[in-house]
Amino acid sequence: MATRKKGVKKGVQFTVMVVGASGTGRTTFVNTLCETGVLEHKVNDNPETAHVEEGIRIKPVNIELEEDGVRIALTIVDTPGFGDNIDNEFAFQEILGYLEREYDHVLGEESRIKRNPRFRDNRVHALLYFIPPTGHALREIDIELMRRLSPRVNVIPVIGKADSLTPQELKGFKKRVMEDIEHYDIPVYNFPYDIEEDDEDTIADNSELRALMPFAIVGSEDEIEIDGQLVRARIYPWGVVEVDNPKHSDFSRLRSALLNTHLTELKSLTHDVLYETYRTEKLSRTVHSEQDSSMLPEDLASQGMRLKEEQLRREEEKLREIELKVSREIQEKREALLAKEESLRNLESRLAAQGLNADF
Amino acid sequence: MAAPAVGGIGIANLPNQRHKIVAKRGAHFTIMVVGESGLGKTTLINTLFSTELSSSKNYSRRHVKQLDKLTEVEIIKAELEEKSFKVKLTVIDTPGFGDYVNNRDSWSPIIDFIDDQHETYMRQEQQPQRGEKTDLRVHACLYFIRATGHTLKPLDIEIMKRLGTRVNLIPVIAKADTLTQGDLANFKQRIRAVIAAQNIRIYQPPIDPEDTQSAEHARLLADAMPFSIIGSTEDVQTADGRTVKGRQYLWGVAEVENENHCDFRKLRSLVIRTHMLDLISTTEESHYENYRQAQMETRKFGEPKVKKLDNPKFKEEEEGLRRRFTEQVKAEEARFRQWEQHLIAERDRLNKDLELAHSAVKQLEAELDNLQVGYGRGSQRR
Repeated sequence: MATRKKGVKKGVQFTVMVVGASGTGRTTFVNTLCETGVLEHKVNDNPETAHVEEGIRIKPVNIELEEDGVRIALTIVDTPGFGDNIDNEFAFQEILGYLEREYDHVLGEESRIKRNPRFRDNRVHALLYFIPPTGHALREIDIELMRRLSPRVNVIPVIGKADSLTPQELKGFKKRVMEDIEHYDIPVYNFPYDIEEDDEDTIADNSELRALMPFAIVGSEDEIEIDGQLVRARIYPWGVVEVDNPKHSDFSRLRSALLNTHLTELKSLTHDVLYETYRTEKLSRTVHSEQDSSMLPEDLASQGMRLKEEQLRREEEKLREIELKVSREIQEKREALLAKEESLRNLESRLAAQGLNADF
Repeated sequence: MAAPAVGGIGIANLPNQRHKIVAKRGAHFTIMVVGESGLGKTTLINTLFSTELSSSKNYSRRHVKQLDKLTEVEIIKAELEEKSFKVKLTVIDTPGFGDYVNNRDSWSPIIDFIDDQHETYMRQEQQPQRGEKTDLRVHACLYFIRATGHTLKPLDIEIMKRLGTRVNLIPVIAKADTLTQGDLANFKQRIRAVIAAQNIRIYQPPIDPEDTQSAEHARLLADAMPFSIIGSTEDVQTADGRTVKGRQYLWGVAEVENENHCDFRKLRSLVIRTHMLDLISTTEESHYENYRQAQMETRKFGEPKVKKLDNPKFKEEEEGLRRRFTEQVKAEEARFRQWEQHLIAERDRLNKDLELAHSAVKQLEAELDNLQVGYGRGSQRR
């Protein structure tokens, strides 16, 4: 698939966020992807502070890549600290907040009278979520993350450190993960294609990629010599795992999809669908100022409930009074009507009587 | 039974008598496995005891439990027999631990279970009839650390601190076939540093200064902790034609019993072959006694234990109920408002009708007046 050669000097801009608990292979994956040490590995020097829960830190890093003759200005957004705390609720808010803030920047820029020509679009085009290789199925934290973030970004699930699973285990795991994704209705990015509209190659390509999901990733920054060639690999006492070997890992397929074949599509989906949805939601929210539905702390909640009960009681009484008033008014008006009817009838009869007299 | 040596009375025969009694009685052993899901707990137990104690996971019903945010305690019982020596084995599994977004207090069911077993045994001892006692006191607790290659997580530290003071804690590195040898060595070192710095008590096999061979063995075991584990109950073929228990990858076979691949044999030795009795006796003599002492200092003899009724899951249910109540209240409010609107609309409508009727009446009256006036004039003209 040809990618637009947009601004050959600057290169195509593309932002990928990587999310996953420590030890799922995130840092190594990024360094393997960029073929250079972009991110630093976690430093665990102080055992005295190992029990301290660090928050999540969101750090974007820029690098230049060349893929198939096309220059890519790649931004990697790392999220160290996700999933490492005992309570990880806050980390979710942080990531969501980051994504929405970038959307807000673009929204703000679009609405300006004089737009900034040097404006840098930092919206995230793809989010790689690293599922730990448990071999069973998705855990609550996996489900919650993908569910909450898919409305704002293209989520691509990957299995980190996939070399801990035998081929059989991997197959079963992939199947169960996709079953769970379907069961919980999580809209991950699944290389969509249209049987009627797209050409055969695209359909074949996309269905092949879809069948590989979630991608089994093995990363390595070390190289060894195999058959005279320098190959990126992991060395165990029982064998050697080759990173770029499609039988050992889905790394190369993912890389080419991300940086080559599906880069444009991911960008356009982000802009045309996800961003537009956010924009619509945000603008309609400011028009009808929505009630703040955040959870109040316990005391306030019970106090609020009591107040509400009071309010309800008062309103009930008011309504009852109004009811009585209205029915009374209706009564009165009815009587007035009847009275008027009476007088009219009298007039009528008098008229009739007069009319008879007039005839003589 | 050897005849008493020349010059002795036969008390040296006592150990042999004891052996016979113990051999006939058999033993019972309770082991607990704690760790996040997917770390190979079930497989390790099956590998350790060479028998399928726990069947492989039933995935068809997993959606029921995935989001329930609860740590459970599962008890599996089995009876093992080897060379006519019977062991009643109990395995305690803890599914759900550490798998959720918020894992605060997820260790409570596990810690409470361990304490409850001490409590139950204590109560039974205090009964007048204490012949038949059920004893589920945990003799060994294997804590499974995920092979991240980094260090212990805050969650690991929290629970290990609490486990270490109550039970013989043996940390293991699960699924160690994810780590290369260099990474594994660094990882072990870092874990040991954290354990020391955070004052976590782990089980140390006792070193008998007199028996040098066993002391050497004990030292070897202690140095290898936390044990790196690869578990498998399947027989596979290695490249050089041997049939072993292991995991078959495309790039080779990771063998369970190969000391170069993992520390499984050391773990088995610790838990079964050489130190099982020590695990049992330290639980009974040391941990149980500590518990008993602590409880007796604060409670009177025979008084039941005060239970915490603070279950995080129930708190969530409480919140849920509260939210639903608020919603219902809001719905009722909305209904009342609608009703009010409806009444107001009715009133307006009736008012309008009245207005119309009123104006019609006025019109008629006006006509009537006109007629009357006209007639009056007419009659006047006569």
